[in-house]
Amino acid sequence: MGRLILRRLLATVPVLVLVTAGVFTLIHLTPGDPIDVMMAESVDPTVKANLRRELGLDRPIYVQYAAWMGRLLHGDLGRSIRNQEPVIENVGRRIRPSVQLAALAMAISLVIATPVGILSAARRNGPIDRVGTSFALFGICMPNFLLALLLIFLFGVKLRWLPISGYTDPLEDPTQGLRSLVLPAVTLGLALAAVVTRTLRSSMLEALSEDYVRTARAKGLSEARVIRGHVLKNALIPVVTVLGLQLGTLIGGAVITEYVFALPGVGRLVVDAVFARDYPLVQGVVLLIALGFILSNLAVDLLYGWIDPRIRYR
Amino acid sequence: MGGSIPGSGIADVAPAVVERMPAPRAHDRRWAVVRRAAAARLAPFGLAVTVIAVVAALFAPILSPHDPLKQDLANTLATPSRAHLLGTDNVGRDVLSRVLWGTRVSLVAGLGSVAIAVAAGSLLGLAAGYAGGQVDGLMMRAMDAVLSFPPLVLALALGAVLGAGLVGVVIALGVVYAPTFARLMRGQVLTISGREYVEAARALGSSGWRIAWRHVLPNATAPIVIQASLSVAFAILAEASLSFLGLGVQPPAASWGSMINAGRGYLQQAPWIVFGPGAALFVTVVGLNFVGDALRDALDPRLRA
Repeated sequence: MGRLILRRLLATVPVLVLVTAGVFTLIHLTPGDPIDVMMAESVDPTVKANLRRELGLDRPIYVQYAAWMGRLLHGDLGRSIRNQEPVIENVGRRIRPSVQLAALAMAISLVIATPVGILSAARRNGPIDRVGTSFALFGICMPNFLLALLLIFLFGVKLRWLPISGYTDPLEDPTQGLRSLVLPAVTLGLALAAVVTRTLRSSMLEALSEDYVRTARAKGLSEARVIRGHVLKNALIPVVTVLGLQLGTLIGGAVITEYVFALPGVGRLVVDAVFARDYPLVQGVVLLIALGFILSNLAVDLLYGWIDPRIRYR
Repeated sequence: MGGSIPGSGIADVAPAVVERMPAPRAHDRRWAVVRRAAAARLAPFGLAVTVIAVVAALFAPILSPHDPLKQDLANTLATPSRAHLLGTDNVGRDVLSRVLWGTRVSLVAGLGSVAIAVAAGSLLGLAAGYAGGQVDGLMMRAMDAVLSFPPLVLALALGAVLGAGLVGVVIALGVVYAPTFARLMRGQVLTISGREYVEAARALGSSGWRIAWRHVLPNATAPIVIQASLSVAFAILAEASLSFLGLGVQPPAASWGSMINAGRGYLQQAPWIVFGPGAALFVTVVGLNFVGDALRDALDPRLRA
């Protein structure tokens, strides 16, 4: 296991270098002068010149990159040009709602997908399977923002059961907090549930056709025990992989969901920074998101090695 | 998957199976593919939706009952009626006409970005697969780096620096989807260049480019076509998401995503502003998915149940 961790970590290094180079280049892709794009024409030229110097835009590009990387390695991701606060602090303030949203969405997706996926596979082509596969298709084709608006329309506008926007921290006021997170989490969770249902169903079907399942049935085990003891464990491996692959989609979905429901999370921060043309903030947050994404994929990889011992020794 | 930019995962395509060995007649083979695609249960629905979308996009100026930009302040938020089948929006514009014009934006964005991704990705994949060694390693790490960003976040950041507008979004999505095709193509190159007929061609003195053009590309077409057809649906969703956030086509021009965003403030009084373009978007994406699935079933016999 130690070797696997080391190998994976080493493989991440060149990707990380390229990711930082990509994020660094981002600001230079702007058509025209980034300072002019970021600031209104009326802004005092000396202020612009100061910002240009502060961002190092007046120096050769390789010098800029080296300086930027140097700061990065000291944990300095730059400052927002709007509120002058370090990127880290901006993100730090916003991370809690995002993590709560993602965790709740993940929980909702598993609560829905596990029974639906198992029953769909166990009763293939039956009514439950049809409903399950239609649900999966619906979830995959339904844009997040449209689902969000449907839920708002139904539960916020028509039935008036739940708040349609805003955020209360569940750690401070559990009832109100959960109420404020239900609709966003269901929006995000349903899409994820669709993918997990699909994967679980097909990996269950594959496991069900294995020889060891025939043996188990021949031994006279009940179908429930066959599924619990033999099928499910093997079918879960692809599900873990898919959950890992879906992290990116989850983060992207969170950007939209936080925007629709006015949740003050990291996704909302990205959108706000993009529209405020606060490029240092965009760079910093995008880099942090990419780092988080790479690290969670690394964690999934290692988890995979832990579930399936064959992978450890490859 | 819903809303965010999905689908940069490679479709479940078996490279070894889709590779086509010489068959008796190309024409017969092509028809067999079409017949198999049409035999899939939901393919006719998908095909019908796709045809309707293409017709709507091509003939939007003729089919639209009203000018999509013309405001009618005496007739705002009008409920659906015979004059306005999908009602009017907050400044009295006909929602149906705007939905029809929005089809253009969606299809251009979907096809344009996938075309860029296929062209760029395939070339990169071919080059990496052929060059091998350090060039291959570096190029693939670069692709990994692009894939290390959550797709929507990358598209958003790229869209932001390229500037709002359809062109920026198409390029941004092209970049986001290119690595998928690069990986797919590289895998094909590696599989196919080990085949005996390629070795035979090499022994006969064919140049690298000739082998790529005559042997590798034709055999790699099937998985690329499958992935491309599924990616179009995802790219349309992605464009709608970006337009919803405010990048993409700028007002007053109509795109489904921006119409939905503009309508969300009127959800209580005039839900049709949101649900008209919403339904168009959902049905189109479902239809394109059916077409993609049918193509996959037809081109990849291993997956046919």
